[in-house]
Amino acid sequence: MKDHPETPAASPGKRAASYWFVDGLPDILAGMTLLLFGAVGLWWCIHLSTPAAQPHFFFIAAGLLLLFWKGRAVLDFLKSRVTYPRTGYVRPPDESSVTRLGNPATLITMSLTPGPPPDENVTHFNTRTVYVVFLWCFLCSGLDPWKRWYTAFAMVTLAATLYLWNRRSERPYSWWSALILALTGPALLWVDIAPRLQSLLLPLLAGVWLTTQGLFTLVHYLRVNPYPRAPEGVRA
Amino acid sequence: MTQRIQEISQLDRLIHEPARLAIMLMLGGVGEADFLYLQREGGFTQGNLSGHLTKLEEAGYVAIEKKFKGKMPLTVCSLTGKGKTAFTEYSSRMLGVLQSNGSAG
Repeated sequence: MKDHPETPAASPGKRAASYWFVDGLPDILAGMTLLLFGAVGLWWCIHLSTPAAQPHFFFIAAGLLLLFWKGRAVLDFLKSRVTYPRTGYVRPPDESSVTRLGNPATLITMSLTPGPPPDENVTHFNTRTVYVVFLWCFLCSGLDPWKRWYTAFAMVTLAATLYLWNRRSERPYSWWSALILALTGPALLWVDIAPRLQSLLLPLLAGVWLTTQGLFTLVHYLRVNPYPRAPEGVRA
Repeated sequence: MTQRIQEISQLDRLIHEPARLAIMLMLGGVGEADFLYLQREGGFTQGNLSGHLTKLEEAGYVAIEKKFKGKMPLTVCSLTGKGKTAFTEYSSRMLGVLQSNGSAG
């Protein structure tokens, strides 16, 4: 594809799967949702919540539910104005496969799977990635010193694994994206945060990570593909 | 050898043309795509792509539909059932010819 000359030649299905993420909008939407609801949860936790109740998780869950429920509609709206006029329309990934995201074991397996079958234009790169980041961070959060060292080690390992494993997939990680992920764990070693706030930091970090990736991709996409001067209209 | 040559002569000529083969291959992979995507991916001119799509549509291999995404008009193309069958048949026949050539050589 002209936008990403570094992308290896792939089957049409894989290219279509990659095409869904070519504008960075799915990453931005997922990242912004995490950021927004993580911030609301954090605010709630600091100002209103009692430590025992921890209702702030409600906000995170609500954000993710909203993303699954209305995310496609928002993306369709954005893509019809940003992507389709510039580089065309391809049938989006199948929504029904989102239901497969229920089982944690499936999530981990899917996250480490380089890509969908060549003839399938379905991929859930962002959701897969976010879940893994979440899962690792959630397991590793706490003030226990060994847990914090474990977090640092786990994040570096996770970043390296994702980068290497997905390098030849339809949607490979960029090196700087993996680097941010890798540095997150060691950075947490030097930051003292109240235990009840640590878990809320995680959606915020994942949100920043995804949004940054998405924005970088979007800027690159808009630079390479300026808006066409004349409306396309009826062309066939 | 004679059988192989006969197989080649039985290939679907409508699909065998490189531009139309590229269109069928792209649509087979992505399910459906609009005119602009096919034009960019295949490196076609508007007139060229339009001509090939018309031939495939007339043969019943491709369905062309006008859709709207928001206020954006799209000319969406997809393979029909007949098109999928024809493409599968073409692929298997072509693969058979090439494989038999490999095993003979």
